[in-house]
Amino acid sequence: MSGKLAETITTLIARPDTGPWLVLTAETLVSLVMVLALYGLARAMRLGGDVRLIDADHAIRLAEATIAGFDAREVTLDRARIGALVRNGEGRVLLIRRHGARFVGREVTSHEGIRLDRHTLTLETGDPRFGPLTLDLGEQAQIWAASLRRLHADQEHPA
Amino acid sequence: MTLPALADLARQAAASGLDVVPFAVPFFVAAIVVEMVWAARHAPGAYEPADTLTSLLMGLGSTVLGTLVAGVIALAAGWLYAHRVATVPVAWWSWIAIFVLDDFNYYVFHRAAHRVRWFWASHVNHHSSQHYNLSTALRQTWTGFPALSFAFRIWPAFVGFAPGMLLTVGGINLVYQFWVHTEAVGRMPRWIEAVMNTPSHHRVHHATNPRYLDRNYAGVFIVWDRLFKSFEPERDDDPVRYGIVHQLGTFSLTTVAFHEWRAIGRDLWRAPFSAKLGYLLRAPGWSHDGSRETSDMIRERWQAAQGDE
Repeated sequence: MSGKLAETITTLIARPDTGPWLVLTAETLVSLVMVLALYGLARAMRLGGDVRLIDADHAIRLAEATIAGFDAREVTLDRARIGALVRNGEGRVLLIRRHGARFVGREVTSHEGIRLDRHTLTLETGDPRFGPLTLDLGEQAQIWAASLRRLHADQEHPA
Repeated sequence: MTLPALADLARQAAASGLDVVPFAVPFFVAAIVVEMVWAARHAPGAYEPADTLTSLLMGLGSTVLGTLVAGVIALAAGWLYAHRVATVPVAWWSWIAIFVLDDFNYYVFHRAAHRVRWFWASHVNHHSSQHYNLSTALRQTWTGFPALSFAFRIWPAFVGFAPGMLLTVGGINLVYQFWVHTEAVGRMPRWIEAVMNTPSHHRVHHATNPRYLDRNYAGVFIVWDRLFKSFEPERDDDPVRYGIVHQLGTFSLTTVAFHEWRAIGRDLWRAPFSAKLGYLLRAPGWSHDGSRETSDMIRERWQAAQGDE
């Protein structure tokens, strides 16, 4: 850094109208570099990994963690095990999906936004944060699609 | 450091405040790197890069915003001190007294931050990660100032503690809480677990398990929770699940920072007039029509189910 540039910066920092802002900006930029470096390190170390549902019991545990007391009776896993549909005895349906290295669940409360394409079922929960999810459910896709169309009726008149 | 030098530092800190947080930042970074190495070897799922990025950017944003409003908070504390009812001398015992009092104030604030939706809206972001590691510690609020959270911590100036002392002990309290955000440490020796907030106690605080909801609010001393019946020990037969009751399912910064404020806005708009205040001041999860659940309701339902089994 040339002496003149250093002198200019020193002068600007000494000025009460620019000094604090310069210091804050410099600190923020340095912190941002540190943040990005830590993020890059986490990626380089492959932290998080490629998580998948282990089995149906795993999906059931996740459903019960999503809604305390959710008594899961029926589970179908996506063939790549990135998500699952879980139904309880009252006919309530939970959609489980991967979120980073964890899973999240949302209740499917409406058949709106559900689209069947042979073995895949695309679902929306009504929560824009959750977003739509396409699951490959194999032959179970059509059975789920049919039952989800009756979602409201089943909840009003559980078996 | 010699005793006179320490005394001089304490006097300066009382006069103008000694913010220890910037000095701790290099240690924060180093500790996160060490924990990442531990995670790579023992628990790769303990970190998720996108989650870590969100947490660290929340921390950065919180620091920048905190710097911008620090002057206003200092002015408020200064005004209280100017109208103080007594003057507490700067001495070793008053430093200990204000450290303990500030930690109690943190406990009260933190309890309110979980039991009053207004304060929860600014605190929820800290709990929104489904991971529990040192980067989670830095997932700090962007909206603490407009939520007026600082009011819990500055009132001792009115009693006669110098504002500089409040700033100094508040920073130490914050720095202490960094290390308790980890799964890499199991249980500490029994006497430490009895008195201090530890990783084990704070894991419980970040849990969504019904047993653990709204427990262990402590900052430094866990004795406040033991004293005010909000303590719950971590149990090996009930592993902690982290996050919030309705997991966000996104790493979006703006969602993490503002989602509960937006939800409050929606509820205030839709609720009948008589219920509007409830959506601001009652517990998170409260609803006027009983369609949602608070932590207490979830726990009661879970306890009832346990009793049925």
